Amino acid sequence: MNLHIHEPIDVITIYKRLGAKAAPYKIRWKNRSYLITKVGYHHKVREGRTVYHIFHVCTDTLAFRLKHDPDTLSWTLEEVSDGIAD
Amino acid sequence: MESLINREKPLIMHIDLNSCFATIEQQANPLLRGKPIVVAAYTTPNAFILAPSIEAKRLGIKMGMRVRDAQEIYPKVVVRMPDAPKYRDVHLKFKKIFEDYSPEVIPKSIDEAIIDFRTVSNLHPDLIDVAKEIKQRMKDEIGEWIFCSIGIGTNMFLAKLGATLHKPDGLTFIDHINLIETYKKAELLDLCGINVRYQARLNIHGIHTPYDFFKASQDFLHKEVFRSVVGARWYVKLHGYEADQKEFPTKSIGHQYALQKTTADPKDLSRLIMKLCEKMGRRLRNKGYTARGIHMWFSYRDHTGWHRGRMMPQAMYTTIELYRHAMLIFNQQPIIKPISHMGVSSYHLSDRNETQMSLFENDYIKARSVSDAADKINNIYGEFTVVPGIMMDMDDTILDRIAFGGVREMEGLETSFAG
Repeated sequence: MNLHIHEPIDVITIYKRLGAKAAPYKIRWKNRSYLITKVGYHHKVREGRTVYHIFHVCTDTLAFRLKHDPDTLSWTLEEVSDGIAD
Repeated sequence: MESLINREKPLIMHIDLNSCFATIEQQANPLLRGKPIVVAAYTTPNAFILAPSIEAKRLGIKMGMRVRDAQEIYPKVVVRMPDAPKYRDVHLKFKKIFEDYSPEVIPKSIDEAIIDFRTVSNLHPDLIDVAKEIKQRMKDEIGEWIFCSIGIGTNMFLAKLGATLHKPDGLTFIDHINLIETYKKAELLDLCGINVRYQARLNIHGIHTPYDFFKASQDFLHKEVFRSVVGARWYVKLHGYEADQKEFPTKSIGHQYALQKTTADPKDLSRLIMKLCEKMGRRLRNKGYTARGIHMWFSYRDHTGWHRGRMMPQAMYTTIELYRHAMLIFNQQPIIKPISHMGVSSYHLSDRNETQMSLFENDYIKARSVSDAADKINNIYGEFTVVPGIMMDMDDTILDRIAFGGVREMEGLETSFAG
């Protein structure tokens, strides 16, 4: 199932000097914490003059699409998926 | 005949991302990996499948099928809608990798590109090693689930054939030594440019395999099979030489839309036409063109269709001009029926600076300036920030889509995404 959420969420990020990469490490959504086990893909999306960072991340059972606004430093949970047919 | 084969070193490489959209979805979401998934225009049963994953293809699910048919084959098939920005990002990343090897990189579509090594052959003595390195770099720099098939040949046609023959994750080298063997193993439909109708035409003339096609004389192909210069071009291509050197300029700019729910309501349809014209107009203006021709087509729910094109006395530039003329065509439909698909395109393009001015120059310049100002605002604050009144409250209708075929307009995105 793939759900469109579009809700602000809490995110802890990690920055690795080697490779100069920042990525979500842990997220908190609906009073539950999820430890990110993998970043599937990261890309940028331009909307007007703002370039948002989109992170496709997952735990062992759920996948999340997160949107980071570098202007406001805010995070939005855009989609949640369990990888199973709707 | 064999002496006519191009015996030069193969220096053209064709790279094809396997099951592109579906593979990228599986890369982004590891929970989808190894599962039959499809990317479809919509997730509804009637929507068309744009890309099945490798696993779905193995079950017999094909591009162009409806979601409903795929679900009949495999009820647990995962259906996803396309995520155009993500696919564009992958395209730009793989193009960047290819440009490390040659300045001559020709993107053929969102998931295909050609690297021409002819000007840098001294730097890369072994293209098989280069191909293996590119495959590895795509996994390291884009994602471990990204597979591609690579073909190497003396011309673009043979390189493409090589990339087609072994999927997924194949690597095929075709030179004068194994060319005939390759043709003997392939089917006519494996050849780029041969569809079912061409296959039937070739069959009528006794050509049943690529090897038969290769053996046919240039005269026979030119004068009897194709009855045009196309036959001569095929002869040249099949022997490993480049036949189509010419780069064709943009001739038309258009947009199409598959309606989620068929409708004949002129109010709804006029709003959709406005949005199509706005998207088309943005691309037209972005490329610095005006258009004198406009064409519309409609597919109806009853599987019939209608289309019409018109040349206008005055060049069109603003969205309102395009819309007004599109609506003239829309209103010429002989019968009003529920529409399932529709498209609008502009043609007879000219450089905007070469367009003849109207007698009412002031109004014309004012309208153009307003249109340019609205485009500037939309560039800064995002698409559809400023729109004509008729388009209010329809932000999510007509989604961002990836066109099959040319990717010329994506070249500009590289700089716009660089930030």
